[in-house]
Amino acid sequence: MKLILTCLLTIGAFFTFSQEEKKVQFVGGARSLLSNADFSSDQKDTVTSRKNAGGYALIDLGFKINPNASTEVLGMVRINNALGGFWGSGVTFDVRQIHVKGVVKNALRYQIGNIDYKLTPYTFYNHNADLLVQSSSVLKIKEEVLNYESFYRNNTWRQQGAAIDFALQFPKLIEEAKVNAFITRLNPSNLGNVLERLYGGGNVILTQSKYLTIGLNQVSIFDLKNTAANANAYRNNVSSISYKSALDTKKYKLGVSGESGFSSSFKSLDTTGGLRDYFVNVQASMEHKKSGIKAHVGYMDNGADFRSFGAQSKRVDFNQLNNFYERYTNDQIIRPVSNYDLYNDPTLYSNSITTGIMAYNPAINNVLPYGIATFNRRGLFAGMKYASKKESIKLETKYYLLSEIRGQGTTKRRNFHAFNAALEFNFSKFFSWKKEQKLILGYAFQDTKRTSDLAFEQISLKSTTLNIGAEMELVDDLYLLANSYYFASKGNESMPVRNAEGEIINFNAMQIAGKEVCFGGGLKYNFTPNIYLAAIYESNTNSFNAASAYRYNQFYIYYIMKF
Amino acid sequence: MKNYLLLIILGWTLLACRKEEATKFDGPSLEDLNGAFVIINGLQASQDSVDFATGESVYFTAEVSKISPWKITITGQTSGAVKEITGLSSTIDVSKSLWNGSTTKFPIFKSEMCKVDLTFTNEPDTLTVYVKVLAPKLNAGFLISDFESGFNSGWTTFAQLGANMDFQIRSDVSAPEGESYYNMAGTVDWDWLIGLVNFKASAYGAPTFPLSSNPNNVYFNVMLYGEPGLTNTLVLFQFEEDENGDGAFTSTSEDMYSLQVTVDWVGWKMVSVKYSDIPCLVNGSPAAPNGEGTHQSNKIRTINMLHLANPNSGFAKAKLDYMIFTENAPLNP
Repeated sequence: MKLILTCLLTIGAFFTFSQEEKKVQFVGGARSLLSNADFSSDQKDTVTSRKNAGGYALIDLGFKINPNASTEVLGMVRINNALGGFWGSGVTFDVRQIHVKGVVKNALRYQIGNIDYKLTPYTFYNHNADLLVQSSSVLKIKEEVLNYESFYRNNTWRQQGAAIDFALQFPKLIEEAKVNAFITRLNPSNLGNVLERLYGGGNVILTQSKYLTIGLNQVSIFDLKNTAANANAYRNNVSSISYKSALDTKKYKLGVSGESGFSSSFKSLDTTGGLRDYFVNVQASMEHKKSGIKAHVGYMDNGADFRSFGAQSKRVDFNQLNNFYERYTNDQIIRPVSNYDLYNDPTLYSNSITTGIMAYNPAINNVLPYGIATFNRRGLFAGMKYASKKESIKLETKYYLLSEIRGQGTTKRRNFHAFNAALEFNFSKFFSWKKEQKLILGYAFQDTKRTSDLAFEQISLKSTTLNIGAEMELVDDLYLLANSYYFASKGNESMPVRNAEGEIINFNAMQIAGKEVCFGGGLKYNFTPNIYLAAIYESNTNSFNAASAYRYNQFYIYYIMKF
Repeated sequence: MKNYLLLIILGWTLLACRKEEATKFDGPSLEDLNGAFVIINGLQASQDSVDFATGESVYFTAEVSKISPWKITITGQTSGAVKEITGLSSTIDVSKSLWNGSTTKFPIFKSEMCKVDLTFTNEPDTLTVYVKVLAPKLNAGFLISDFESGFNSGWTTFAQLGANMDFQIRSDVSAPEGESYYNMAGTVDWDWLIGLVNFKASAYGAPTFPLSSNPNNVYFNVMLYGEPGLTNTLVLFQFEEDENGDGAFTSTSEDMYSLQVTVDWVGWKMVSVKYSDIPCLVNGSPAAPNGEGTHQSNKIRTINMLHLANPNSGFAKAKLDYMIFTENAPLNP
């Protein structure tokens, strides 16, 4: 067999090497925030500070060094100065980013240090499961800040370790094989009883032709034995095959794609064998070329014992406490994490893989709390996408009709409906105006039901999220921003209480009824596409605790720069 | 490759091969959790008396009709010590209710009769049995002092000449362990220091404390008492290491790590810290150590215990008892 032993350099996502490139470059960003919050509740509250002013100025200063044409070294430090801090007080210095990457013999690309990585939605993927509607205007600024803070880029997880990739080309049968592999460290040993835990894997993507691509994917979370006085090592293995086939006709583009695989999750001394299960996800898609309409319909079956923590780790742990106004009222009750906090506080977000089932808020996302990789879900899904020729109108919808595979506490199973829609109307493109004028709508609806003759088994929970945002250019580079966010949920749930091993040991009956409404508006001035100043006022009301509804208003000024 | 062939078959054919799970469910039955509450088997102890000092333990059994949150409360009839065990189940057995003589709320159990109550959340029933403790639990580790044998002649002490000074060992029923504890009280309006005690390794017949060299495995434990209405006490423990083995601590060239505890609670509380987590402090702020910069638990020569308070804050008082080093885990008293 005549195999062409030609290894190809795969195209870098962030940079390409060239002889002309500068040897040392400064990269990074700067941000400054001044905020003034005003908090009040329906309950008598003489304890909680009503007004709260604060802010910070930070700079992320990176040195990108190219010692030769095939190597890059990046080190980035963060200097953060809290508002009012001076002469060292309130100033912190942190290493934000550090990596070495390069190419060996124009064939193998490597990266060591911080790596932003993903594989497939069921193996290693950073699902955004809690911000269900498309953000715009004011919310978009906030979402960009929290994505930047947590290194969320295209559903990757920021990890520390090493990665390589290379490609091979073949003369027959297969056009190309791309190989990706990584190894990262999830936690170090404490030299006592906690073992060193690593996360590794990779995939081989075989391109048979333009009609068929197949990926063989494998990831494992595993403890290194003998790194601590503990013989009970943990393993979470996921193997999958992903595939995509496409057919291009004169009028239509047709395709079939999906991913299927197995998982096993166990401890080495566990005599029960741990958890093993499989998943299937397949979808057929169609694009009508003339109209620009794309549609897909699919089926998914994620087993109740399917565990893939690289894809099921949530960005937000809902067991954590808020950082702002953590408690309120004279009884100092805990203020749960709200939708407003999800946009407002980047420190709620994590960038680590959690080896365990994370808590979630059923009011926000009960249908797919761990994204498409959520275990114990089976059913159909469909969606469509439309963009007019000038892209003045964009529409995207998704619908899920799912049910549990295995009941919780009963043989009766929950049934789920979820509908998401995003509509963008670009007036400037539609009417050919010079100034940019945009209206963006995001909508999400979820419905959970479990029917039973026994009242304590019945579940009915509905949630609606609606976001309307407008961006209007008043004069050159000066924008008026307006945003209205509405979230409501009503019903009941029976939330599983799990032990450290993830087994359900009890259920907490939850009654949910409340609304969260946020109006925001302000001005934004773009100095350049990468530098802007925004002054924004927001008024947020939350009635999920009916007896202690609260208002959380905030005025803030953001100065954001990227270089 | 064989696995991937299987996966290909699976992915492409969408096998409907999942076992029917209609009769299965995860977690406890909701019917069990929401049914009627009936006591099926009453509370029983595995033995009437127990000698914890020899390593014996006792467990409790009971059974009720539905999964319920339960609490076993063991109360020492002489000491007032309390041990609490909680769980969520319909049966209570050795795997859920084993008691090795440990304490949840101070003081520590003595040789005494104990009352054992089993209660259930949202149910009025209380089931009771009695167990006699023949000898309390012995804790493994190096005991620096429980103050039961008086002031060790190898220690040194200093107390300011302030107002209402009481810097000495006292014996009364408030001791969390045994009968005695170290009482620290006084008003010193010109200095943060109220008094101190130097616990020297030489008092135990060795140049350094006999501890593991791995600072990640060594835990320092002490019981501290906060006086009601007073939150101004700071207790500072300084661990002086003789790194060069010359029989002395040289502050300019050897490490000293400091644990500063703000006693802002009421009653007895156990403070446990891994030695490697104890920072180097200068005037209460983290600083670089002056020596090798590595925690070396096997080279601790002296532990200085300082009772401090802001001179403007007035009268300060705290109590201290049962200072002990343990290995591999914090003290489980």
